[in-house]
Amino acid sequence: MLILIARRLGSMVLIMFVVSVILFGIFETDKLAVAGKVLGPYSSIEQRELWLDQNGYNQSFWTRYVIWAGNAMRGDFGQSLQLKVPVSEVLWPRLANTGILALFLFAIMIPLSLFMGVMAGMKEGSFQDRSITVFSVLTTSIPEFASATLLTAIFVFTLGWLPGTSSMTGGFSFKELILPVLVLLLYDFGYITRMTRASMAEVMNSQYIRTAILKGLPYKRVIVRHALRNALIAPFTVIVLQLNWLLSGVIVVEVFFAYKGFGKLLLDAALFGDIFVIEACTLVAVFVAVASQFISDIGYTYLNPRIRFS
Amino acid sequence: MYIKKDKPRIHPAIPDLAKDLKNGNIDRREFLRTSTLLGLSAGAAYTMANNLTGIVNTVVPAANAQTPKKGGTFRVSMEVQEMTDPSTFDWVQKSNVARHINEFLTITGTDNVTRPYLAEKWEASDDLTEWTLSLRKGIKWHNGDEFTAEDVAFNFNRWLDPATGSSNIGLFSAMVEDVDTGEKNDDGTPKMTKRAIDGAVEIVDDHTVKIRNKQAVLAIPENLYNYPTMIVHRGFQGDIGKENNGTGPYQLADFAIGEKAILKRTDKPYWGGEVYLDEIHYYDHGSASSAQMAALASGQVDSIYEFDIGSLQMAQNMPGYSIYEAKTAQTAVCRMQVTQKPFDNKMLRQAMMHAIDTSIYPKFVFQGRGVSAEHHHVAQIHPEYFQLPPVKQDFEKAKKLLADAGYPNGLEVTIDVGNTNGPWQQHTCELMKEQLANIGVTLNLNVIPSSKYWEIWDKTPFGITAWTHRPLGTMVLSLGYRSGVPWNESMYASAEFDAALDKAESLVDVDKRRAAMEDVERILQDDAVILQPIWIPKFFAASDKVKGLEAHPTQYHQFHKVWIDA
Repeated sequence: MLILIARRLGSMVLIMFVVSVILFGIFETDKLAVAGKVLGPYSSIEQRELWLDQNGYNQSFWTRYVIWAGNAMRGDFGQSLQLKVPVSEVLWPRLANTGILALFLFAIMIPLSLFMGVMAGMKEGSFQDRSITVFSVLTTSIPEFASATLLTAIFVFTLGWLPGTSSMTGGFSFKELILPVLVLLLYDFGYITRMTRASMAEVMNSQYIRTAILKGLPYKRVIVRHALRNALIAPFTVIVLQLNWLLSGVIVVEVFFAYKGFGKLLLDAALFGDIFVIEACTLVAVFVAVASQFISDIGYTYLNPRIRFS
Repeated sequence: MYIKKDKPRIHPAIPDLAKDLKNGNIDRREFLRTSTLLGLSAGAAYTMANNLTGIVNTVVPAANAQTPKKGGTFRVSMEVQEMTDPSTFDWVQKSNVARHINEFLTITGTDNVTRPYLAEKWEASDDLTEWTLSLRKGIKWHNGDEFTAEDVAFNFNRWLDPATGSSNIGLFSAMVEDVDTGEKNDDGTPKMTKRAIDGAVEIVDDHTVKIRNKQAVLAIPENLYNYPTMIVHRGFQGDIGKENNGTGPYQLADFAIGEKAILKRTDKPYWGGEVYLDEIHYYDHGSASSAQMAALASGQVDSIYEFDIGSLQMAQNMPGYSIYEAKTAQTAVCRMQVTQKPFDNKMLRQAMMHAIDTSIYPKFVFQGRGVSAEHHHVAQIHPEYFQLPPVKQDFEKAKKLLADAGYPNGLEVTIDVGNTNGPWQQHTCELMKEQLANIGVTLNLNVIPSSKYWEIWDKTPFGITAWTHRPLGTMVLSLGYRSGVPWNESMYASAEFDAALDKAESLVDVDKRRAAMEDVERILQDDAVILQPIWIPKFFAASDKVKGLEAHPTQYHQFHKVWIDA
């Protein structure tokens, strides 16, 4: 197990290194373009060259990369061109905001989708199974912008029950989280439910469950003690990987509800060409991707003895 | 030439204006606008107009209809953008936050009449080349310094210095001259720059400034309320938000780009009388009107900056809110950069213009609102507008022009569309695509994010650019079409056009000025620099508890007399 963890950590570091070199290469090879972004479109070539000289851009690519990577590891990503503050001043709070959204989403989605998936998978082909499956497919197939519009029309414009945006301008508000979480929940829970259902159905058709039922064990005990643990291995992996999806998947929701999260930050930076924010966000997103993959791999290995002992 | 030493001077053109009003040659609005530009106070102008026409129509601000209540916070949903040097502002939204901190020498109201502001009065020489601005006394900056002529001279000198990069250098083009830098362009021609003419700005005394122009200019007072002409302190270092030192009733308490701007009423006495709001909060919900509307509908804000035509019906169905609509000279022009192929070919540009029927755009793009434009960037609501014969859609003529231009089989062109002031820009281009197809021109739309468009707006060969309202047509022509000015995005350079514009800007007599605009409009239209299909109205909405709000055609926020009926 320790060897596996060490290997996985090693590959994580390698991936981060490769991605960071590519990222740095894409954004910072054309030095004059960087200076143009910082100084504005009306800056002269002379001004840009002076800036490059003053900011150490006339050193070799690899020297600049080492300095840049070292600063990034210390959390210094430079100054946002658009927001005029250090990138770290906006990056971490925005990441935390998306984390809050994820926390509430997962707190509701995981128990709900696992429960629904297990209920559907227990009796494959039953009315219960078909109803849950149809509902899951239906909600997952509605794009986030459509459900956001629909829910806003109902709860904001018609009923007036909920706030229409989630900027948290007056401080943290549970009420402002309801619509973004609901939209994400509708979109994502069906996927986990169907994964759980498929896994549960497969387990329920396996020989050892049949044996357990045939030998007269109570049905409830068969489900809880024998089926559930194996059925949850696949959904566990999927749920962990949702962390990665969430970083980019929330962009629509964050923009629609003006929620100041990581996705909105990344989108604004991309549209503005705020290269230092794009670099920071990409590094964080890649880190979350490899870290969630790592957790998923280790967790899967831990939960599945067949992989652990092979 | 003064009438009497102890009486205020009246510009010699004012009696002629009064005669024109009495004889019906000009309307009341034009009399008010022009006479106040020439230094007559708004009160005197209204009184004179009432006496001459027999119509008593004093403008009573809506806020006075009820007794205003002091206090409260006015929350507005609007993009909060970077806000550093007002002279380089390129978005009205930036100026709307700064407008409560720093002020202007003049102020143009929603009635299009320009009144004194930091300048107590102004006088123009008979030939309109010299303007004497008398500044109000007793105005203090937030840091305690007195507002003086030195501040005004400092601002003018910054605006007229090309190194500042201010669009004002185009607006005050009669105060600058072209000089040879001694360097050469790539094509070997001399590299030119601009500098202020000798004596352009003169401090007469502590509270009097004289400005001089190469030729007559009538619009100086109106130019002084254009949004990049905000007056900063003589010690200004380049960041209005950080320095937070104005003459206005509010100061910035909190500011984060893309999030919020919190303005609080200063505890120092304000020279301009009572203002009612304790605080003004701007919250950034993005540029999409759907989020702004949702914030308004759920009471998270009291007003929004604007909404697009697609949200009009939704706004109409919201109880407890009012819609404010302003007829404007706001537009978007499909401008062709005349220095780049294939748009360096005038016949090609003319062919495209003759393929377009502008009359259908209000119906199909703006639900019947808005007004058809005429490809010369002077609106029907501009006082100096001259009605040219309409440019008729004529496919045969357009095809012939296209063939003469060297494209007998048509051609394919691409327009960059940033939808910078709404998706209507794209709808306009889609409609134009259909019309151009009739003469064999295939128009491709390259739809890009609005922020990306602003990176290329003055570089792309063909793009649709939004232009905000300005009270005079000549103002926008000076900013956008004079040879060599910073905002000349089409790279158009015509000595004939510049001279015609100079002439129009110098005439006080309304009929003569309107006649002079014929040449200006015709030259620009004949050169087919822009395809301009429509003038658009602007909308915003606010809670009914907000009183004293008015829709300014330029979307300027003037909240001094706004109050909350809590």
